[in-house]
Amino acid sequence: MAAGLPRRIIKETQRLMQEPVPGIVALPDEGNARYFHVVVAGPSESPYESGTFKLELFLPEEYPMSAPKVRFMTKIYHPNIDKLGRICLDILKDKWSPALQIRTVLLSIQALLSAPNPDDPLANDVAEQWKTNESKAIQTAKQWTKTYATDN
Amino acid sequence: MGNCLKAQSNDDISLLRGHDSQDSVEQALGPPPPYQEHVQQRMPVYHPAPNVSRTASQLTEEEQIKIAKRLGLISHLPTGIYDGSSKKGKECVICMGDFAVGEPLRILPCMHSYHKDCIDDWLMRSFTCPSCMEPVDAALLTTYETS
Repeated sequence: MAAGLPRRIIKETQRLMQEPVPGIVALPDEGNARYFHVVVAGPSESPYESGTFKLELFLPEEYPMSAPKVRFMTKIYHPNIDKLGRICLDILKDKWSPALQIRTVLLSIQALLSAPNPDDPLANDVAEQWKTNESKAIQTAKQWTKTYATDN
Repeated sequence: MGNCLKAQSNDDISLLRGHDSQDSVEQALGPPPPYQEHVQQRMPVYHPAPNVSRTASQLTEEEQIKIAKRLGLISHLPTGIYDGSSKKGKECVICMGDFAVGEPLRILPCMHSYHKDCIDDWLMRSFTCPSCMEPVDAALLTTYETS
């Protein structure tokens, strides 16, 4: 399995195990060392507080020359995350740099949960709601957190 | 930011079945005759834009010029041999390998250094420093103008 696995991926995986990021768990799949099962805790003082969100992260063949592919598996009401779980985050697209790591990518995603950006939407309807009636949008996000991201 | 809706999304919904772009090129062209297969594997792959991989014969003239220019610019960036002095940090952030004495490094105008092979691979895709995101272009052109 480890044949041909770049040293960088081995090192990153070891470091993730040795010094885990608070509020984030990332475990490599047993059968595929490039595929990670991720759980991110909803940041406190956000509508996602006390929710646990499952994500999948895949390191493509070109990694670290291209960004990891990351997707939410747990349903989430957020203007920058669409209904398929795809994430609008610049560092996953044109602002990727090989100096970034799995760790920094997941921290950025956690930060995105604390600071939704409805001016750069991926989910248009959610962004619209966020801009026209923010308190209602936050209410819906809290409700979805309760329904889909609690005891999952 | 602000480009997510316009950008052609190549997010794979099933990440486990992540495929590289070479596969899709081959699918589009149909399988090559067996005798060509070995030749194709040895051909260098170029990246005219991030997330685009093509062999030389698949590049447009414009892309070929861009790549030639880029290769020229990269070759003007200073290189060095790691001598064991730890002033510049001892890990290459791209491959996460420690610099070993005698290994060739490349030093960018912002003074960040990397394994030569690691950074050259990146610079062909994006002409920026991975650590500080400083565009390498501008700094280099200023050097040309004053010299």
